[in-house]
Amino acid sequence: MSNVEFSERHEILTSEQQGAESSKISRRKFLVTGGATGLTLGFAIAGGGGRAAAQIAGIAGPPAQTQVNTWLNITSGGVITMTIGVSEMGQGTFTGLAMILAEDLMVDLTKIKTVQGVPAIAAQQTGNSIGTFGSTVTWTNYWGMRNAGATAREMLVSAAMNIIGDQNRGNYTVANGVITYTPNGTQISYGLVANAAAKLSVPTNPPLIPDSEFRYIGKTQSRLDIPSKVNGTAIYAMDVRLPNMVYAVIQHAPAFGSVLSGALPAAPANTIAVVPTKVIAGTDRGTEQVGMVNAFAVVASNTWDAWQAAMNLSVSWTPPSNAAQLNDANYLSEAQAALTTNTPYSPSGPNTAPTLYQVEGTASASASAIAGANKKFSEQYVLPYVAHNHLENLACAVNYVPGVSIDIYAPTQSASSIPPLAAQITGLSLNQVNVHVTMLGGGLGRKIEMDFISQAIQVAFAIKQPVMLMWPRAQLFMRDQYRPFSLVQINAGLNSSGNIVGWSATNVNASILGQRGYPVGAVGDSQSTEGMTGLPYTRGTFSTQWVSHPSPIPVGFWRSVGMSVNTFAVESAIDELAALAGVDPLQYRLNMCTDPRWAGVLNAVASLGNYAAGPASGHFFGIAAELYSNSYAAVMVDLSLTNAVDYDGQNTVFTVNKVWIALDCYLSVNPGQIQTQLAGGMVHGLNAFLYGHVPMVNGVPQNTDFHSNRVIRIYEMPQVFTTVIPSPAQSSQSTAIGGVGELGVPCIAPAVANAYFKATGTRIRTLPFFPTATMGGINSASVP
Amino acid sequence: MATTYTLNVNGQNVNVTVNDPNMSTLWVLRDLLNLTGTKYGCGEGICGACTVWVDGVQSQSCNHTPAQAVGRKIVTIEGLSPTSTHPAQLAWIANQVPQCGYCQSGQIMEVAAAMAAGNHGAALIPGQKCVCICGTYDRILQAIDTL
Ligand code: FES
Ligand code: FES
Repeated sequence: MSNVEFSERHEILTSEQQGAESSKISRRKFLVTGGATGLTLGFAIAGGGGRAAAQIAGIAGPPAQTQVNTWLNITSGGVITMTIGVSEMGQGTFTGLAMILAEDLMVDLTKIKTVQGVPAIAAQQTGNSIGTFGSTVTWTNYWGMRNAGATAREMLVSAAMNIIGDQNRGNYTVANGVITYTPNGTQISYGLVANAAAKLSVPTNPPLIPDSEFRYIGKTQSRLDIPSKVNGTAIYAMDVRLPNMVYAVIQHAPAFGSVLSGALPAAPANTIAVVPTKVIAGTDRGTEQVGMVNAFAVVASNTWDAWQAAMNLSVSWTPPSNAAQLNDANYLSEAQAALTTNTPYSPSGPNTAPTLYQVEGTASASASAIAGANKKFSEQYVLPYVAHNHLENLACAVNYVPGVSIDIYAPTQSASSIPPLAAQITGLSLNQVNVHVTMLGGGLGRKIEMDFISQAIQVAFAIKQPVMLMWPRAQLFMRDQYRPFSLVQINAGLNSSGNIVGWSATNVNASILGQRGYPVGAVGDSQSTEGMTGLPYTRGTFSTQWVSHPSPIPVGFWRSVGMSVNTFAVESAIDELAALAGVDPLQYRLNMCTDPRWAGVLNAVASLGNYAAGPASGHFFGIAAELYSNSYAAVMVDLSLTNAVDYDGQNTVFTVNKVWIALDCYLSVNPGQIQTQLAGGMVHGLNAFLYGHVPMVNGVPQNTDFHSNRVIRIYEMPQVFTTVIPSPAQSSQSTAIGGVGELGVPCIAPAVANAYFKATGTRIRTLPFFPTATMGGINSASVP
Repeated sequence: MATTYTLNVNGQNVNVTVNDPNMSTLWVLRDLLNLTGTKYGCGEGICGACTVWVDGVQSQSCNHTPAQAVGRKIVTIEGLSPTSTHPAQLAWIANQVPQCGYCQSGQIMEVAAAMAAGNHGAALIPGQKCVCICGTYDRILQAIDTL
């Protein structure tokens, strides 16, 4: 989602100043209800894509960029708390932000306590969660966080100078939250001057410490959330327990676009209620339109009873009239037809799919360059609908007190969308809504969506009792908002030396932004075109196009979004062109490369994996590169052909033995986390490449369990080696810091496909590689 | 018809009453006993998020009923170590294994069971079958290496 533009703005306000700003949270309310003392700095930090992304997330207006959502509080007791307005999904975001703050605040990292913020609408709340996606949290907030630390430090030092009575700043040093007056060695702790500092004005441009004095940035730090994740104490949504809470399990209509026909049966034995749930404005996507009753929930005293009753309840649904068109084969033929039969984008609309968007260059010029070329290339790459497959099932707990309040406990990537949604459903006002963000058992983009939260609120509203609503695994596959089915057509022409003289790339897929009512302009949906545009290769006369696909199957943000689709096509095609030119694929990329940082990661990965030495006998290398979220990454794999039956009963065909990953993110904050994010992203991409797809038959999603929607187990894990281009000796704000969280995902698919070509001479252009693979049970036959 | 069973969970005998005798042990642990460290992932014995010990052997709690667990000793992640200092837990922290963490109760119960059976290091790997969507497998292998 890196192409969603927003202008980030960090506005630092003291608690005193906030009171004067009517558009900001009033200091008085905050202090009275939060019980905070000492110095409190509130400031805005950005989640993924900031304002635009929050709109994408649906429901209601996003918080303004200037809205305070993060609080740094230093009490007179010296306790330092940072209340953070983005979600922790397991990427170590909180740890990274605390590390950055610790540098310029000049305190030990262990002194900073981090707390998950909640939407700052009600007076008693502190902090405001906004969208958390797009690999962006650390890098977009890096300078703001450093500035916050420096601002607080200088205010505390000023307060100390007032006590000492010497205004010469040069006579003071700071170490670990203690200010020393060097002429006589007097020491004043932050806590001692915290109250006084809050009354001072905010300095402009407080000096940042030089990079050479970093104590944490660039050095691996332990994650703060890990101890709770090894002993079962971390609280995910499904672990929330409220007094008198009951359990609800959701069941959707089998086919997309279906609505309930007739009334629901009465609550069966061992259950409390059966509640219809409908699509609420802002959560509508494709076939699922506002007002449709597309699901029901069964409520019982425990999950099991609710679940069994939900599965067995006899309910009739009316499928949509176009159900027969909601089929995989149909999507492909529609996509192929749309390549040629479409309507060019018009600023006056209506731009009904299929509409052609010219994203870069000119189609006719590129076509004639290719027509006149020495060698011509034309291939299609086809990618299926893929589910997010996060391990934590969607769940949300709600405590609704009619006319008084509603408390919502959710694993959300978009907390600020919840209060308007709850207000819409219950009629409560925004300040009666309290949101509690739980730990996320994987977000991957699915937990931006509000559908499950809307259902939990509807059920609580209907039964007027605290309730936990949960989606069983099959429901997750049935009503995902999938990575879009995509067809990418790439044509190219080479001159006699094998160089590209003409290039044309066209992606046909459904619009993620369009399904959310977000305006899609002349250059199309950024979520569809990222990874095809601005390629740092000499493409000769080039053209990039996107054609909107008419499929109404709901689509959404799948970790790395359009990048994982287009990088597969582009980096496969470049490899094919290298073969056509008769040039080594690494050398070909370097020859065509127009960006030294792109070449830098290619060279780094090649040296890490010793590309020059060549693979061992029977082994084959494949390579790919990408540019995303201001970061560059290159991946190289070692693959060998195998022929064995694996633990899950499948013939192996090949094994990915090793994966090398090089990243250039300009400045690395927590290198250990970078390594795990790259490896984890690679696994996510590998799962999709090998196994991921949810086929549709007459609108009914197939493969709705792990058995038929396989993922890799530990025995399929390649050895992973990573390298990060060193940070500059002194960083500057003029070069963007790159993201990390999604960078491991896009390149693995083309790198493996390219290695497989080396091994077999066969190109993989349709995913997944194993469309019929299955996964078996864990073999624990001995018990019980 | 409601049925009551006496189960031994983390060293204590507890009575649980279920409406449906087919309720899997997973939901008995989570919803009736509030031992929420054991996770639900698939409910079909594939992902391993619900892994506990039954008589010291790793077992997917979504795969059996309380009737099958009667007379046996169930241990959940909460009961693995009163101080959270089982060597596997320490190795998981030292190697910074968890990302989202949702699979890790199962991962740790699985490896700890194999350790209890007398295995060490590489011999622990074949038993490690829990799914990790976050892809922490390389860190798990690193951690296992130290056990
Ligand atoms: S929940 Fe038991 S194996 Fe997945
Ligand atoms: S740590 Fe997230 S599924 Fe394993």
